[in-house]
Order: sequence, then structure tokens, then C-alpha cells
Amino acid sequence: MSLVTAALVQIGHFVAAGDEVVVDSEGIVTHSSILPEVAEIIYGGLASVIIFGLIIKFAGPAMKKGLADRTSKIQKELDSAAEDKAAATSEAASIRQAKGDINAERARLLADADAQAEAMVADFHTRLDVEVEELRARAAADINTARTRGSDELRAEITRLSSTAADRAVAESIDDATHQDLIESFIAKVGASA
Amino acid sequence: MSTDPRIEGYAKALFEIARAEGSLDEVEDELFRFARSYESSDALRNALTNDMIPAAKRQAIVEDLLGGKATSTTTQLVSMVVGSGRGRDLPAIIDLLVARASSSKNLEVAEVRTAVALSDDQQARLAAALANATGKQVNLKVVVDPSVLGGIIATVGDTVIDGTVRTRLDQLKARL
Repeated sequence: MSLVTAALVQIGHFVAAGDEVVVDSEGIVTHSSILPEVAEIIYGGLASVIIFGLIIKFAGPAMKKGLADRTSKIQKELDSAAEDKAAATSEAASIRQAKGDINAERARLLADADAQAEAMVADFHTRLDVEVEELRARAAADINTARTRGSDELRAEITRLSSTAADRAVAESIDDATHQDLIESFIAKVGASA
Repeated sequence: MSTDPRIEGYAKALFEIARAEGSLDEVEDELFRFARSYESSDALRNALTNDMIPAAKRQAIVEDLLGGKATSTTTQLVSMVVGSGRGRDLPAIIDLLVARASSSKNLEVAEVRTAVALSDDQQARLAAALANATGKQVNLKVVVDPSVLGGIIATVGDTVIDGTVRTRLDQLKARL
């Protein structure tokens, strides 16, 4: 036995159990504890049809308009999304193009920088060579000056020492007799010069 | 060459005082020798020209130096000049006084520098030789100056007769 069959059997047993007639203290008879009375079904069904008809007649247009507006709104949102997508696609394209331009500009700037760096290095080397040559010449001149100065100072010192030594030697070599000879010689020479 | 009137004034005053005292020759000679000592001694020059030393102290230095070695007139004259704050002008004042004294006797001052002292005979013969060479009678002033090494250098007015070893040595050095 399938499950469906088993379920129908159970429902049948339940409905059959509900079909027991009950009479309350006021004498009112209830034929089933589950199913309504036949008259109640007829009146309830008619009332339901009338209510549904009234709803369809009066609320239907508003509901239709609301649905149409909602459809229109959703369509607008879809259109807007499509436009946004197109704009985003265009923007992405322009960004990709700009990126390409930036890459080209970067390459150009790098090339310029390389060229300038090479020029600066060449110029630096040239100036460095000139400065090295100037320093070399200056150093040679300084060495020459120092050599000359040292030579001059040495010569002056030798002259000073020899002068002092000569003074001392002469002073010591002149004895009293020499002094008298010099004095007499001077007197004689001056006396004869008239 | 123009001379400071104050120096001339002092020289004239000293000359007149020495002449009035009747010891012009002696005073003139002593002053001349003192002036040469003053020129050759830095210590003496500094002591007599230092304004920080009181005048009385400077005069006492002069009296200590010359006392007993020079006449009282010479000592007083030098002391007066130093005391009046004219110590720096002392050589110029004395040279002017010597020139004035010589001029009064129709003599020309002959400054003679030698390494050793001259005898009286040598001084007399040198004075005669200089008079013969310059045509002027000279008042000989001898200065013993060891820096000349040997020989004599004589200055009469603008005339200089140089026979010193020092000059010959300097010429030799210059030639070398």
C-alpha cells in the first residue's frame, strides 16, 4: 500500500469519525464536527463570490495600476542599470586608454630622464677632468712655491748664521794692535784727502 | 730741517745755564756722552720716559746715574729735563745744545764713533785731519761704539766719512 493510499484511508477514518450526530442542550443538531452544514456552504459560497466580485470590480484597477507601476519602475531600474553598465564599460575603456597613455608618458619620461642623466654624467666627467687638471696644476704650483720658499728661507737662515759668525769671527780677530792700525790708517787717509 | 720750538727753547735754556756757570765745555761734553748712552740703552730710555713712574723717581734715577760721575750742573740739567716730562726729547735737546755751543766757538760738531777709545793724541790728530778734509774747525765728540767692530766713522754736518769694519763687512755681505 502506497503512502497516498494510506493517507486517504486515514482521512476517511477521520471524516467518518466526524460524521457522528451530536445534539446539544438546546436541541440544536450538528451532523459533523468537521464539515459545515449544507446551507452554510451555499450561503458562505455565495457571499464569497459576491465579495470576490466586488474586490475584482473595485480593487482590480488599482491593483492593476500598482502592478503596472511596479513593472514600469522595475523596467526603469533595469534601463538605468543597463545605462550604468554602458557608462561603466565606456569609463573602463577610457581608463584603459588612459592607462595606455600613462604607460607611454612614463616611457617617454623615463627616456628623457635617461637622456638627461647621460648628459649630466658626461658633463660631470668633463668638469671633473677640468677640476682634476686644475688641482694638479695648483698642487704643482704649490709644491714649486713651497720648494722655492723653503729654499729662500734656508738661504736667508744660512745668510743670517754666516753673518753672525762673520761678525763674531771678525770681532775676535781684531786685536788692539789692529784697532790702532785701523784708527791710524783712517786719520792718515782723512788727513790726506784735502 | 725745522726743529720743535720747545726743544729749541730747552736747548737754549740749558746752553745759557751752562755758560753762566762757566762750565760750558765740560757740561756740553758730559751731556753729549749721556745722550749717546741714553740712545743705546733701552732700559734707561724706558725708565726716563715712562709716565707711570713719578717725576721725582725719574729724577732720582738720573741723580743715581750721574752723581759723582758728572758735574752737578750736568746732573741738574738732565734732571730738570726729565722731571719736566721731556725725557723723550733729551737727545735732540742735547744735540742742539752741543751744536749751539760749537757754533758759539765757530766750530762744527764732529761726531766720531770708534770701537775703542781714542787717546788724546789721536783725538787731536783726528780733529786736525777732519778740519783739513772739511775745511771747518771741528768740535770733536767721540762715542765708543763696539758695534762698529773696528775703524772710525766721522760725521761733520752732512758729511759722513766711514772707515769702519762694520760697513766693509755689510758691503761684503750685500755683495754675497
